[in-house]
Amino acid sequence: MKNAEVIIEFEGSISFDIMERLLSRLKAARQFNELRKPVRKRVYGTVVESIDNIFKYAVPEETVVVDMQRPPLVKVSEKEGKFIVTAGNLVKNSQIDDLRRKLNRVNDMDDEALKSLYEQVINKEATDEDRGAGLGLITMALRTDEKICYFFDPAGPGYTYFTMHITIKE
Amino acid sequence: MEKFIIEPTANSPRIVLDPEKGTFEFSGESRPENVRKFYLPVLEWLEAYTGSLEALQDDQRKFDLQCQFNFEYFNSTSAKYILDIFKSLNAINALGVGLDIKWLYEEDDEDMLEVGQEMSRMSKLSFEYIIS
Repeated sequence: MKNAEVIIEFEGSISFDIMERLLSRLKAARQFNELRKPVRKRVYGTVVESIDNIFKYAVPEETVVVDMQRPPLVKVSEKEGKFIVTAGNLVKNSQIDDLRRKLNRVNDMDDEALKSLYEQVINKEATDEDRGAGLGLITMALRTDEKICYFFDPAGPGYTYFTMHITIKE
Repeated sequence: MEKFIIEPTANSPRIVLDPEKGTFEFSGESRPENVRKFYLPVLEWLEAYTGSLEALQDDQRKFDLQCQFNFEYFNSTSAKYILDIFKSLNAINALGVGLDIKWLYEEDDEDMLEVGQEMSRMSKLSFEYIIS
């Protein structure tokens, strides 16, 4: 089987400026520009939502003891004609149940159920605590035909490295 | 009411709300760093505009607003505020002002068309869909 070809990859602390630079690199990539426009927009949107999720859920590096630090990761790769967006970040163990519940919920839904959940969530009053309200995950689930694939790797006492892979629908 | 203008950036849309001409225009990309901070003034302006319409006589509200939504892309947090804009437009419509809402999307961009249809359904406003 052919190995995945990396289109863009970034590992490190992610700021809004770094997101801008990553998106510019993505827009300049040949493989990205060869995609059909709607697929290109799905890849682009999924990268934006993945980084928003990192902003929302990642444990700030300065709060973690140095030997347990593992920086966030954002990657877009292509394998056998399919585009895969990978995002990873450190979370507290106490966040795992909520993340798993949200991911399993969207993974168990078909498009109709996802749209109905989208409507329910978008109409909920946003609080600062809940600013994305899970809409990002629902949007990403609508951009893939496959399940959102995710892993939790123990990263030292109290912390876990959370990774997800989203294969973009064509 | 004064005209409301926001010039575009790489991550935020151009917004022009012109009550004199009766045109509301939104275009570009929407994923600002602080989405709430970006859209709050827009929603506040719309609320004040609705208030100014309420002060008018019924026959002074017999006009149409031309609203054009020409987004290239918006993130999920922006979607929430865009829906709030439609809810504000719905309140304006309830006062008797006509709305002519055009939702532009690029050819083949079925996701943008679909999200427009969802926005229309959720806000109970009818849209005209146009390939940009």
